[in-house]
Amino acid sequence: MEPHDITSTIAQIQRRTFLARAGLNLGGAALSGLLARDTVAATVARSAQVGRSQGVIDPLHYPPKAKAVIFLCLAGGPSHLETFDHKPLLTKLDGEPMPESVTAGQPIAQLQGKKLICLGPRRPFQRHGECGAEVSDYFPRLGSLADRFAIVRSMVTEQINHDPAHTFMNCGTALSGRPSMGAWVTYGLGSEADDLPGFVVMTSKMGRNPQPIAARQWHSGFLPGQFQGVEFATSGPPVHYVANPPGVSPRHQRDLIDTVAALERHRLGRIADPDVATRIRQYELAFRMQTSVPHLADLSGETVETLELYGAEAGKATVGTNCLMARRLVERGVRFVHLYHSDWDHHNGIDGFMDEICPPTDRAAAGLLIDLERRGLLEETLVVIGGEFGRTPMGQGDKGKIGRDHHIKGFSMVLAGGGIRGGITHGATDDFGYHAVQDVVHVRDLHATMLYQLGIDPARFSVEFQGLDTKLTGVEPAHVVRSLVG
Amino acid sequence: MRNAMYRMIVVWFMATPWSIHAKADAGRPAAAISFNRDIRPILSRNCFACHGPDEQDREAGLRLDDREAAISALESGARAIVPGRPQKSALVARIEATDPDVIMPPPESHHILSERQKELLVRWIAEGAPYQPHWAYVAPEPHADPQVADADWGRTWIDRFVLASLEVQGLAPAPDTDVVTLVRRLTFDLTGLPPTPAEIGAYLSDDSADRYERLVDRLLATPRHAERLAGWWLDLVRYADTVGYHGDQTHNVSLYRDWVIAAFLDNVPFDRFTVLQLAGDLVEPAAGEHPEDRLLASAYHRLLQTTHEGGLQVKEYRAIYQADRVRNLSGVWLGATIGCAQCHDHKYDPYTSRDFYAVGSFFADIDDEKHMGKGGFGGGTNTLPTKRDPEQPLVGPFERQRAAAIDAAMHQRRKELEKKMAAASPSVGLVAPSATGEKARDKQTDGPNLSPPEEPAEIAALRAELATLEAERKGLERVVMVTRRLAEPRTVRVLPRGNWMDESGDVVTPAIPTFLGSLHTKGRASRSDLAEWLVLPVQQGGKGEFTARVMANRLWAIFFGAGLCRTADDFGGQGEPPDHPELLDRLALEFVANGWDVRRLIRDIVTSRAYRMSSDASAELLARDPDNRLLARQGRWRYPAEAVRDAALSASGLLVEGLGGPSVHPYQPAGYYRHLNFPQRTYQADSDSRQWRRGLYVHWQRMFLHPQLLAFDAPTREECTAVRMRSNTPKAALVLLNDPTFVEAARKLAERVVRETPDDKTRIVALWRYAVSREPDPEEAELVRNLLARRREEYTADPKAAEALLKTGIAPRDRAIDPVTAAAWTAAARAVLNLHEAIGRY
Repeated sequence: MEPHDITSTIAQIQRRTFLARAGLNLGGAALSGLLARDTVAATVARSAQVGRSQGVIDPLHYPPKAKAVIFLCLAGGPSHLETFDHKPLLTKLDGEPMPESVTAGQPIAQLQGKKLICLGPRRPFQRHGECGAEVSDYFPRLGSLADRFAIVRSMVTEQINHDPAHTFMNCGTALSGRPSMGAWVTYGLGSEADDLPGFVVMTSKMGRNPQPIAARQWHSGFLPGQFQGVEFATSGPPVHYVANPPGVSPRHQRDLIDTVAALERHRLGRIADPDVATRIRQYELAFRMQTSVPHLADLSGETVETLELYGAEAGKATVGTNCLMARRLVERGVRFVHLYHSDWDHHNGIDGFMDEICPPTDRAAAGLLIDLERRGLLEETLVVIGGEFGRTPMGQGDKGKIGRDHHIKGFSMVLAGGGIRGGITHGATDDFGYHAVQDVVHVRDLHATMLYQLGIDPARFSVEFQGLDTKLTGVEPAHVVRSLVG
Repeated sequence: MRNAMYRMIVVWFMATPWSIHAKADAGRPAAAISFNRDIRPILSRNCFACHGPDEQDREAGLRLDDREAAISALESGARAIVPGRPQKSALVARIEATDPDVIMPPPESHHILSERQKELLVRWIAEGAPYQPHWAYVAPEPHADPQVADADWGRTWIDRFVLASLEVQGLAPAPDTDVVTLVRRLTFDLTGLPPTPAEIGAYLSDDSADRYERLVDRLLATPRHAERLAGWWLDLVRYADTVGYHGDQTHNVSLYRDWVIAAFLDNVPFDRFTVLQLAGDLVEPAAGEHPEDRLLASAYHRLLQTTHEGGLQVKEYRAIYQADRVRNLSGVWLGATIGCAQCHDHKYDPYTSRDFYAVGSFFADIDDEKHMGKGGFGGGTNTLPTKRDPEQPLVGPFERQRAAAIDAAMHQRRKELEKKMAAASPSVGLVAPSATGEKARDKQTDGPNLSPPEEPAEIAALRAELATLEAERKGLERVVMVTRRLAEPRTVRVLPRGNWMDESGDVVTPAIPTFLGSLHTKGRASRSDLAEWLVLPVQQGGKGEFTARVMANRLWAIFFGAGLCRTADDFGGQGEPPDHPELLDRLALEFVANGWDVRRLIRDIVTSRAYRMSSDASAELLARDPDNRLLARQGRWRYPAEAVRDAALSASGLLVEGLGGPSVHPYQPAGYYRHLNFPQRTYQADSDSRQWRRGLYVHWQRMFLHPQLLAFDAPTREECTAVRMRSNTPKAALVLLNDPTFVEAARKLAERVVRETPDDKTRIVALWRYAVSREPDPEEAELVRNLLARRREEYTADPKAAEALLKTGIAPRDRAIDPVTAAAWTAAARAVLNLHEAIGRY
C-alpha cells in the first residue's frame, strides 16, 4: 500500500479509533451514544459560531453564556459568618450556649463532645451597591462590586472533613477515582487554547498551617488522561518537564522533535498505526507548550496599574499573581482555571488569620472581576469564589485565640460573570447561620448551574463507568439555580 | 457499549461478502435473536433503572429483568410483554408511541431507542420473548475444541476457538509475526522488559524446533516475570505507599508488595493466593509455606485509604472503610460492582442494599480503628511513616535467607563466646549468655556496654561481631501493617440511603449476596469462609469457576491488550458480554482444573499460534475491527508507565535489578510535594543505585503520584483498577523528552554504543537494537546520522553545552569518551528513545 493511502485511512478511522480505544474503559458507545443523543438535541437554536466545541458535546445542548471558568477555591473552609452571611442574632447570643434544638443529631467535627457556645460575627457588615447586599468589612473591595456578583447563602455539602469535602466539591462525590469538574468541562467542551492545556491549576498559601491539597482534585478519574488538570507553578519551571535539559537549546530540541517526527512518518509509511500518527501531533504540541508556557508566565507586559490592581508580583505565588495568571490563561482560550488559596481553616485565631489572609484575597478577587470586565471577558467567564464548606456559628478554642469548626449545613459562595445575574443574594440560613433553610443549593446544584452556563445539560452529560451513567452532578437529581442564571 | 458492538456487527454483515448472514439478509442478523447478545443490553441500558431489580424504585410495578414478571398482568391490567404477540404487548405500544406522555423510555431519561433497537425488541417478542440468564451468572460450561476448516493452522486448543470464530467471520488469521518482534513481544509481555540484543541474538542462532517454548519456560521462571505479574495485581488491590487521605503520610506496607512478588515467583496457586490475603490471619500455614507469609498476605485488608484527619467522625469512617473493602473485594474477585448497592438496591444487577452490608460485615472483625481515636488525633500520627496499628516488624521473603544465615552465624558466635567466657576468669562478663534463642539475642545486644573494661580482646571482638550481626539482622526487618482479628466484631447495620448517621437499619451478619446462594457455616461466617467460597468449585457449593473466569479474562488482557470481556471490571448487566464466550469459559475451567496454576494458564496463552500472529493490520481490517475484537491479528499498545521507565533504563544499562525492598525515589520535579502537609514533605531523590530500580518499586504517593507514572496513566491506586487507560498526550511527550531519568538513560545508552562499537554506522545499529530490538533501515540510519552531524558540529563549537548535558543525572560519566562525542550521541539516543516503537508493544 502507498504511504499516503495508509495516512488517509488513518485519518478516516482516527476519530472512530479514539472512541473505540477510550472504550477500553468508558465504552466507545457511551461516547458515541452521547454524540448521537446530542445530535438529536441539535434543535436548540444557536449560532453556528458559539455552539461549536471540540469536546464530546458538539453541538452544545444550550447556547452557552460562559466559555470559561475561574474557580477561586478558598481552601480550608472560609467562615460564611465573617464574609457574606450577616447574623445579628449571633452577636446577641455571643458567649451563650447554642440551643440544642439546632445542633441535635448533627454531624460535628472537632467540637465533638465539647460545649457548643455561640460566637458572634468578628467584623461588622456593610450594605453595598444598588442591590444593597451585605458583605463584611473583611472584603471592602469585593463588596464595592456587589452589583456585579451573586451571593449564594444557602450552600450545603455532605462532607465535613477537608479532604473528602474538597473531593465532593470538585468531583461531585467523595469516592476517589472520579473526574474533577475541570476535567469534565474540558472533556465536554474541549479547549480553545492551541498550545496550552485546557485545564490549569494554580495554588497559593498563607495564613494558618495549610491543609493539604491532593492532585485528586484535578485528576481526570476515568476520563482520558489529556483532561487532567495541569499544575502551573508561579516560581521555577511553570510546568513539569517544560524546560529543556541542560545543554539543549530550543533549536536543538526543535531539531530533535523534527527528527523524531521524520522517523515516525517513515515508519507510518510501512505500518498503519494510528497511535504513531497521534504521537507526532502530541510532540508538536509539547514543543509549542515549551515555548508558550514561559511566555505566559512572563508578566513584564502587564502595566504597573494592573499588577497593583491584583496585588500581583511576578515570580511570587500569591493569590494576586494567580488571579492575574487566571485572566491571562482565559484570554488564551484555557477552559477551566482552578485556583487554590490556602488556608482558611480557622479553628483558632480566626481574627489574626482573617486579618492576614483577607486583604490580599479581597484585592485579588476584586481585581480579577474589574480586569475581566474592562477587557470584555467577564461576560463569558464564570467566576466562582468559595471553599469546600463553611464554619460553625459556635466558637472553638480559647477566648482570645478563638476560631470556628467545620460546618456543612449552610455556607456561602460568590458567583460572577458568565451570565450570572449580579446584585442578587440567593437563599438564606436560619438566624443562627447554622442551617440553610431557604432555596437550599446543594453542591450538585452548583455543578448543574455551572454546566448550564457553559451550554451543557447536566442531566445529559454522562459517561458510562462500571455500568453506570456517571455524571458530575451524581445520581440524585440536580437543579440549575434559575434565579442565578436570569 | 453494546450499541457499538452492535453497530459493528451490523457493519460486518453489511460489508463482508463472505458472511453467510449477509447473503441471507443484508443489514440484519438473520440468525435467531440472542437475548444476552441482542436484547439484554437494550433493556439494561434503557429500561432497568426504573423497571429492574431495585424494588424501591420500580415504576408501575413493572420489572423487565425477569421474564415471569415481565409477561404478567400489571396493576393497570396491561401486559408489557405478551410472548409471540407484539401487537398485544404494551412494551411495543409504548416504545413506538410519539406522545411524550406515553413514549418509553420517557423523554426526561434522555434515552432514545433507535429504529433498529425497536425492531429487535418487536422481533424478539414475536419469537416468543425468550430470556436467558445473564452470561456472567451462569457457571462456565465445558466447550470441546470447535471444528475448524483449516486444521493445520492451530497449535493449541486456544487456536481452535480463535480460528473457528474467524472462519465464521470469513477472515483468515494474520500471518505469524517476524521472529524479532515475537521475541520482543514475549519478553515484554512476560517480564515487562524488552529483550537485550544478546538475548535476541541467542534466539536467532538457536535452530532447535522448540526454541520458542524453551524461551517461554525460561522467562516464566524469572523474577522479572513475577515482578510483571505483581504490578498487575497491585493495581487491582490498590497497593500504594501512602494513606491517600488528608496528610497522605507514608504507611508501612512494602512487605506486602514483596510477598506478592514472591507468591508469583513461587507460582502459589491462585486459590491459596486468595485465601492468604483475605484470611491469612485465620488459617494455618500450608505445607512448605513460611508461617509469616500469612501475616504478610493479610496486609491486603490494610491497603485501603485511611485517615486520622482532625475532626473525623469514627462512625463515618467506619462506613467509608467498610464500603471501600466491599468495592475492592467485589471488583477484584467477582468482577462486580456491589459498591453501587451502598445507598439502594443495585439498578442493573441483583445485588440488594442488604447484600452490600452483609458482605461488608465480613470485615467487621478487622482491628484497624486505633489510628482514628476519638475525634481524630488518636493513634494515627503525623509522622513518616504514620502509625497504623496493628503493625509489626517482619522479615520479607527475599531477606529470609540472609536472616537465617545471620541467625546461624550469631548462634555459632554465641557458642564461641560462651566457651571463651567459661575459660576466662569468672569475673568476666556480667551477662551469661544462654545457648540460643531470642532472649539470649536480646540481652546480647547490650553486651559490649555491659562488659568490664578488662575483658580479653578476643571476647570483645566476638561481642563486636555479634553486635554487627545484630544490627544487620535488625535492618532486614521492616514494619508492616497486618490484619488482626477483633475478639468481638463490630455491629454492622444496613445504612438507609448509605447514611452513617441513620442507625435505624437492620443489623446484619456476614453473608454472600443472596442471589448467589448462601454459606453453610456453623455460626458466624468468617473471612476464611468467604475466601473458600470464592475458590471452591461450583460442584462443592463455591464460586470457583466464576472467580477463575474473572481472572482468566484479566490474564488474557496482558497478552492481547484487552480482555475477552472488555469490561474487565464489570461482568454485570451493564458490562459487555465477552466476544469469545466459549474460549473464556474454557480458560476458566482449565485454570481451575489445573489447580489454579497461573503459570500454566499463561503458558497456554503464549504458546498458542494466535499469540504469535502479526499485530500489523491492513487498513481494511483496521477499519473493520479497530478494537481487535475478532482476534484476526495480535494487539498493539503503548507500554504501561512502569515499563516505559524500565525499557529506557534497560536500554541504557542503568537498570538495577533485585527483588523487593523499601520503595525507591527517582528524580522528581522540585516542589512537587509542596501541597502535602502533616507533616510537610521534601522529596529526597535516591542518590545511589536505587535510582535505577524498576518502576514497580517507585514510591507510590497516592495524592501526588510520580509525574512520569501519572503521565503514562498509572493509576493512583485509590480504587481497584482492572483496565488502565492508554492516553497519548503532550505531557507524556514532555516526560520522555525532558525528565532527567530519560535524559540520563540517553546519556548512558550513548556511552554504551560508543564504547561497544567502532564507528557511526555500527553505533547507530546498536542504538536501534538496544532501544527497539531491530536494526534501522537506511533511511532511518540517515536521519539519525544527520542529527548526529549537526550536534557534533555545534557541541564542538560550544563544549560548555556538551558538559552541561552530560551532567544530567547522578550516573558517573565515562571519562574515556570525549564530551562532544558523548553529547552528540546522547542527542541521537534521545531521538531513538523517543520513538513510539521504543515504548510500543507490537
